[in-house]
Amino acid sequence: MLIHIDPAEDRPIYQQIMDEVQRARVMGTLPPDGALPSVRQLAGELRVNPNTVQQAYRELEREGAVYVKRGQGTFAAALEGSAGARRRLLAEVAGRALRDAHRHGFSADELAEAVRAANPERPRRARRHA
Amino acid sequence: MSASTLAPPALAGVLPQRLEADAPAVATAGLSKRYGARTALEDVDLTVPDGAVYLLAGANGAGKTSLLRILQELARPTAGSARVLGIDPAADGAAVRAQTGYVPERHDVPYGTLRVGRLVTHHAAHYASWDAAYAAHLMARLEIEPEPRFAELSKGQARRVQLLLALAHRPRLLLLDEPTDGLDPLVRDMVLELLAEHLADHPATVLVSTHLVGEVDRLADHVGVLTRGHLLTQISRAELHRLLRRYHFEAPEDGTAADAGALHVLHRTNGGAERAWTVWGAEAEVVAHLTAAGCRVRQVEPLRLEEAAVALLRAGRGRP
Repeated sequence: MLIHIDPAEDRPIYQQIMDEVQRARVMGTLPPDGALPSVRQLAGELRVNPNTVQQAYRELEREGAVYVKRGQGTFAAALEGSAGARRRLLAEVAGRALRDAHRHGFSADELAEAVRAANPERPRRARRHA
Repeated sequence: MSASTLAPPALAGVLPQRLEADAPAVATAGLSKRYGARTALEDVDLTVPDGAVYLLAGANGAGKTSLLRILQELARPTAGSARVLGIDPAADGAAVRAQTGYVPERHDVPYGTLRVGRLVTHHAAHYASWDAAYAAHLMARLEIEPEPRFAELSKGQARRVQLLLALAHRPRLLLLDEPTDGLDPLVRDMVLELLAEHLADHPATVLVSTHLVGEVDRLADHVGVLTRGHLLTQISRAELHRLLRRYHFEAPEDGTAADAGALHVLHRTNGGAERAWTVWGAEAEVVAHLTAAGCRVRQVEPLRLEEAAVALLRAGRGRP
């Protein structure tokens, strides 16, 4: 699992960490019972306040996404209904795209149409050194 | 495209000036410092919650250094009082300094003629909680050579030694005055990693003053803005994130846009009908106001810490 954050983003940093952990669970890069990095390790890697990592882990625990083993660390919980988790993740991606579309003056319908057009049935291959 | 600045006189009354905290690590009341006719600090009520990483932003000469020095009784206030870790520094400065790690703004220390290794030993003797193993680790990590004399070090080398001296006794409070000043980008990044790990291993309250706000963006959870000796505002990061946002919108055809009088606009950029205003207030209320005025709000975004600090500093400059 790789956790990537961007302080320039509109989500607070603890939220970004939570979303990244959820993303890793859905994608399978953080399998059930897989260990999350320690607070110290992640805070150091991301150069963020350890309290921020702590807050993200606490919220994830409250949501049942991770569990804590005393003295051993934080681990991913089993994924219940991965279809639901995937749907939630997709809703977030769609929400971000929609906000960007609105900023550029496009409606949800226009965006949906453009997404379909940009991604035809058979993906086009990039032509290399034709 | 034109940009204009507006500092509504009402703004000072809108920005929060008090932070509520039980047993804060640092609290000052009506703190003022004058050097002859020059005022360095004016009636400052600073509150640093226990365990916070509090960023004190301000231009050079805003009074940041005076404030940090007073907190350790390296300077005396002209008026007002301070409590640091529950102690009045004016009454027992030594007790405060014993529990505080301080990176001073200046790159010189007493005993500058000592070799670095000797300086560290000398410094260690003053602290009961000095952790020799941790000091050795920090020396290796910060690539500090013990041989050269301190006074002969470059700015960046001296900064690294000062960080070692501040951290190795694992103090409850860290007062960092421009801690990344003079460091090259690689070392700066490593110092930020080191600080994050230090705080995970040795929880402490941090009061960090800097004009390079972007560097500590990820670490800070509270912000205070000091302009010309006045504490313009102090606020938690979460509240700042909630209350200071940039609104992208289109103004109505007649070009009148919203009646700005009712909004606390810190900064406005106008490009024809397209506007980007930095406004203080709850998002729902600001959007409702703009919409009622015939504007079409396209996007609302919070500001990066650095942008927020600049917007506030700019607004603060307009004060009488």
